[in-house]
Amino acid sequence: MTIETMNLSKYYGPVRGIVDINLRVEEGEVYGLIGPNGAGKTTLIRTLLGLIRPTRGGATLFGQPIPWGGGELYRGVGYLPTDVRLYPDMTGKELLDYAASFHQPIDPTWRKALQERLQFDPSRRIRSYSHGNRKKLGIIQALLHRPRLLILDEPTTGLDPLVRLELFSVLQEQNRQGVTILFSTHVLEEVDRLCQRVGFIRQGSLVRVSSVHELPGRHMRILTVKLAGGKPPDKSLAQLGHPRAIEGQPGYYRLAVDAPANHITAQLHQVDLEYFEIVNPSIEELFLEIYRGKGEGVQGNA
Amino acid sequence: MLRMNILVSELHLNRRSLVIWTIVSMVIVGIYLGFFPYYDASWAEVIDSMPPAFLEAFSFSGVMFEDVNLYHGGLVLMYVLVAVSIYGFMLAGSLIARESDWGTAEFLLVMPVTRMQILLAKATAFVVLVSVLWLVIFITSTLVGVAVAGRDFHVGAQVWAHLAGLLATMAAGGIAFAVAPFIDRTQTSTSLGVGVGLGFFLLDAVRNMIEVLDPLKYLSIHYYAELQGAATGEPFTIGLLVLPAIFIIGTLVGLFFLQRKEFTV
Repeated sequence: MTIETMNLSKYYGPVRGIVDINLRVEEGEVYGLIGPNGAGKTTLIRTLLGLIRPTRGGATLFGQPIPWGGGELYRGVGYLPTDVRLYPDMTGKELLDYAASFHQPIDPTWRKALQERLQFDPSRRIRSYSHGNRKKLGIIQALLHRPRLLILDEPTTGLDPLVRLELFSVLQEQNRQGVTILFSTHVLEEVDRLCQRVGFIRQGSLVRVSSVHELPGRHMRILTVKLAGGKPPDKSLAQLGHPRAIEGQPGYYRLAVDAPANHITAQLHQVDLEYFEIVNPSIEELFLEIYRGKGEGVQGNA
Repeated sequence: MLRMNILVSELHLNRRSLVIWTIVSMVIVGIYLGFFPYYDASWAEVIDSMPPAFLEAFSFSGVMFEDVNLYHGGLVLMYVLVAVSIYGFMLAGSLIARESDWGTAEFLLVMPVTRMQILLAKATAFVVLVSVLWLVIFITSTLVGVAVAGRDFHVGAQVWAHLAGLLATMAAGGIAFAVAPFIDRTQTSTSLGVGVGLGFFLLDAVRNMIEVLDPLKYLSIHYYAELQGAATGEPFTIGLLVLPAIFIIGTLVGLFFLQRKEFTV
């Protein structure tokens, strides 16, 4: 077991961070933590890294209790925070040299390969880097020492699509070599692409764990329609999902559809559409649909 | 135990501030000590005619302007110590607070290194930086002192005065290390540094003026450094032991709190 938490909880005074999280990440697994902003993903990750002390419960990394105050255990960990903030007066090269100095020896060809694959120029000062370049630097320093465990907090935010694809490719290669990956995201597509298992975090609790093949709402799309003449939805449309009128937009309806694409198009052929839009659901919409479908109460912004 | 990579990195990151404060200190020493030959006997009379309370507050006396060693220790190095103790506090405070302020704690604390090793390396970097600063001050003082007063400038005695200054700066740093885990902004440590540095000076002045406040001297690093005595070859030995003790205790207190600090942002 690479990561195991036992009723891990963190409160900031009266404010909830995470509550009784029991997480198990197997060796060699890619585990996605998915949840809306403020759900507790970052708190969980920071607690695993010893940056935050849990209020109760415990956790282990590689079978050893997490050392409060840092230590050798983190030699096997690579970490990328959501917002990469590094020493602004250092150049990218100096920062990577500094990171490497904690993990000697480092394979220089691997470092160079990472820089090339992520199209990163290490010669400039960190203060001059864009958000995306700082993210690339953070990714390279996290991967530099070939860690056994990668903990990535929203790794793709700020990256352009090509670099994002390259990052996925690097992560998949690493995983094939046995590296365990825990990463948080609020983009369902990323989970679908990379993970073997997914944990859903909502309001500080791990509410559901499933394999990516059993991912609820995996094929879900959000459909916005307006029928010709502003007519109300008919039976064909109702077969796709439950249409809800959009407030302030007369004649417009929204429905969450969890069905294969050909089924959606077949049903839409039977209705006279004036307007039509189909998009991937946001994580908030996904959670809303999952809980609405299960008949559970939905609170807060989920 | 001592992580050289952190030490070297800290020296590298703080090199500019060291250069700036070294230049400031050299200018203070150069100007004030360089002026010594221009004070004549009439100047001592002018000083002695000033209100006693004023003279006591700033430890001034006419004799001071007749003896280069007294002048250097009691006046020049006193001003230098005010400036350098501000630097010492700011430096030590920002060495710790910067990691929260810049968000680099998330980088450093997930490396295979303990918080104790981090603080030890940072405290060592602090000692190296302030030692370099005081060494340059000593060299400048010696060159200017010998140039303006020849053999009257007792280099041997000035070694004690500069050592006292170094230890007092370290004590200021120790206090900063003790409070730094509670500071999340480098700007706060800078403001505190100015406040504490000037506070020590004012505390010393107040206790000189008002007899009943004399016990306040124990709260000022200037009392333990006793620069005037050290510059004339009579260092305050107990004070010179108290100052490094303040540094060590302050650093240990800082470690205690740093071990418990949570990095939530």
